[in-house]
Amino acid sequence: MLGTPTVLITVSPEVSAQMRPPRALYPNGFKIGNSLGKPGKRDLQKQVLKDALELLTQNTRPGSFETKDYPAYGDYFEAPSVGSK
Amino acid sequence: MTNLSRKCVPFTPFEGELAKSNIAIVSAAGVHAKDQEAFNIADDLGDLSYRVIGPDVAGDDLMVTHHHYDHQDADQDINIVFPIDVLRELADEGFIGGLANKHIGYMGYTMRLKDMYSETAPAIAKEIDRGSRAQAVILTGG
Repeated sequence: MLGTPTVLITVSPEVSAQMRPPRALYPNGFKIGNSLGKPGKRDLQKQVLKDALELLTQNTRPGSFETKDYPAYGDYFEAPSVGSK
Repeated sequence: MTNLSRKCVPFTPFEGELAKSNIAIVSAAGVHAKDQEAFNIADDLGDLSYRVIGPDVAGDDLMVTHHHYDHQDADQDINIVFPIDVLRELADEGFIGGLANKHIGYMGYTMRLKDMYSETAPAIAKEIDRGSRAQAVILTGG
């Protein structure tokens, strides 16, 4: 069976990496609970979702994480490290 | 977990076009429809069950039951952890083909990792495989 391609949006890249997802997007500095941004910021949410979906069509290395900056988020939170989880 | 991380990355290539593909959401953020049974947050070991969410549900019909992350923002706008309305807009714009027939919410907190790995995860994969008509899946956490 071939399976279904997946792409992960994660705000805890170090923690997620332990699970070895095939493709992942890390919106840089987003906090836990804000995977696609902030409430009501639909344009930001849409951009994050589009960027994640586009990873499907790019020739990414299996297991790689793409980090992207989204200035529209307007905040920066440190991602949790494996040691602190 | 350690055993899992030593295995190779399971990678399924995406060979279609986004504009012709149905997309499913599978989220560990504890999302379910307001009229579905909530996840059991009273059990310290977590809740291994999942909820199947249909394609026509609006974000306002969904809610979060999860006690291991701050979901106050998601309570205001579920799309930041479960982008169902955003996905619909992308379908309207032609960026994707459409929404899959099934989306999945589960509570990504459990102390029973082996059961999550050997039972819940394959059951979710089977849901997507059978009848969702998804060509690809977006995964989100809390």
